[in-house]
Amino acid sequence: MADVKAEPHTGAVKFSMLIAGAVFALMMVIGLVMRAAQGNLIELEAPFFYQLLSVHGAGMVGTAGLSGAAVMWYFVGRYVPLSARMYWAFIALFLLGVVFILTAIFIGRYGGGWTFLFPLPAISGEAWEPWAAALFMLGYVSIGVGFLLYHLAVGYPIMKHYGGFARALGWHVGFGGADPADAPPPAIVAAAAVTIFNTIGIIVGAAVLVASLVHLLVPGFAVDALLAKNMIFFFGHVFINASIYMAVIAVYEIVPEYTGRPWKTSRVFVLAWTAILLFVMAVYPHHLLQDVVMPPWALVLGQVVSYLSGIPLLAVTAFSLCVYLHGSKMRWDLASSLLVLAVAGWSVGTVPAIIDGMISVNKIMHNTQWVPGHFHIYLLLGVVAMSFGFMAWLVRGTKASESGMSGLDRMAFGAYALGAAGFALMFLISGAMSVPRRWAVHLPEWVLQDRIATAFAVLVVVSTLVFVIKYAVRLGRAPG
Amino acid sequence: MQSTVLVITLVLMIAVALPFVKAVRSAGADGAPGNAEPRRNKLIWALVAAGVVITVASLREWPHAIAAGDDVVQVNATGGQWYWEIDTPEIPVGRTVVFNLHTKDVNHGFGVVNSSGRLLFQTQAMPGYVNKVQYVFDEPGDYRVLCLEFCGVAHHDMIDEFTVVAN
Repeated sequence: MADVKAEPHTGAVKFSMLIAGAVFALMMVIGLVMRAAQGNLIELEAPFFYQLLSVHGAGMVGTAGLSGAAVMWYFVGRYVPLSARMYWAFIALFLLGVVFILTAIFIGRYGGGWTFLFPLPAISGEAWEPWAAALFMLGYVSIGVGFLLYHLAVGYPIMKHYGGFARALGWHVGFGGADPADAPPPAIVAAAAVTIFNTIGIIVGAAVLVASLVHLLVPGFAVDALLAKNMIFFFGHVFINASIYMAVIAVYEIVPEYTGRPWKTSRVFVLAWTAILLFVMAVYPHHLLQDVVMPPWALVLGQVVSYLSGIPLLAVTAFSLCVYLHGSKMRWDLASSLLVLAVAGWSVGTVPAIIDGMISVNKIMHNTQWVPGHFHIYLLLGVVAMSFGFMAWLVRGTKASESGMSGLDRMAFGAYALGAAGFALMFLISGAMSVPRRWAVHLPEWVLQDRIATAFAVLVVVSTLVFVIKYAVRLGRAPG
Repeated sequence: MQSTVLVITLVLMIAVALPFVKAVRSAGADGAPGNAEPRRNKLIWALVAAGVVITVASLREWPHAIAAGDDVVQVNATGGQWYWEIDTPEIPVGRTVVFNLHTKDVNHGFGVVNSSGRLLFQTQAMPGYVNKVQYVFDEPGDYRVLCLEFCGVAHHDMIDEFTVVAN
């Protein structure tokens, strides 16, 4: 299939990644502050801790979404023409949402968590005013509308260019026996799948946000708490997964430049992405395994699909990366190192996630620090590492003296990998010791691992600052 | 059980990381990748087979099963911002206990830990629903209830206790 070689909107994407890098760094500092407070190294008032918890959750998830969207936009733009105006509209709505959320949290003192679990935003125990909760949720609505515009701007040209979503997903190759040479590139297959499931997820999220907003205005308006919980976790799970599945496009497109081996769309690749499309939407009940009023079949579905979700990642993306690396003339620099680390971290992170997805284990691990343990592996060693790898690649040097890993790069990369792994491990150990998640105040017997985690967090923050400052300094010099 | 889960998890995480270490070490040396598809297919089928075994083994006894009958001790627990109300302060050892979880306001998480601080079981308390969870206490003593679902600015203060007594 002939591909359109459109010009990616490099300036807009670089701007997005500058914002993303800065916000990631800021959110990590907030994470460090919270762990230090739990370790009694600093003092925070509990309400302020929960405000920080809310901004940290919303900020990390939103920024993961933004960076994934920037990655996908950049590489889809290589194959189909995209509208820069639509991208800027997305960015504008995203930033408007950020302003709403920051105002709600730091002026309105909203501290109901990023999951806005119904009916907590409306029943705060007088910790925040209803307007703050409303503004927080309006911020989500603004970001959600921005993402719907974004997916329309990506999805429609893909559909037009490839003759529908079925062909963009490569189903003629996966199920119709067509020659894999006729398949769309991996970036397009991934973008088509993400566009479908993230659009559905955001629409469901918008519905529960609107219902929650109406409930705030008219408290008599009843919303079924179980239905709301299902919708919130469907939206949240799909959105954070969309972030990483958008960001992995950087691996498909950039790693071949380093190995000299193109990442091809094979039949198994198409089948894997079709499975991802279904699994990402079907797996969310694994967040509700302790809601025993759920139908048992839904909980079984959550456990089974939780396990199955690991297979496309481990047997296709991770396996293929190892095959492409094996015996290749791989060039190592900060970008390629971070991208490989990201796939490895993401893969390793499936293990505690799948284990927590077992109902019998979940009964003693759910909502302990085991949960942030596994998702911090996905985030720090997965989507965030992919984003930093993409950023390093965007501003890579063209001179011989700028290629490879500098001493600073090596130190920052090592500190980041060690810091992130140690930080997440402390969560897992704490989870195994039954330490609850989301507690502003910790019991004395939990403090040791909080302090160790704080030290690892310092490593993560310092190395992140190196990545982001280096990116900012080199911005505008590289061709991209 | 938590320690076993942690050890199994760490071993499996290392097992997943090892192929990456091997691939990274072998990168840079020139060599054709060869046909990896048979190995990939074996991996997929091995993962599927392991999944079937794990699923059957872990769900053969339904983890949320609730017993009925006159010999079952029924305990009602209600969560509110930020307290627990438990209608049975003394629970007999060795008897099947069913906790019926209610809430007066928002979602709460009812987690019971033993004197060593180990979480024994949990369930959610949700507006408009009654969640049930069953447990048999083997040891007399004081047990703490912790809130495990974020419920507002004093979430961490939602701690209560009950006592399990010998018959």
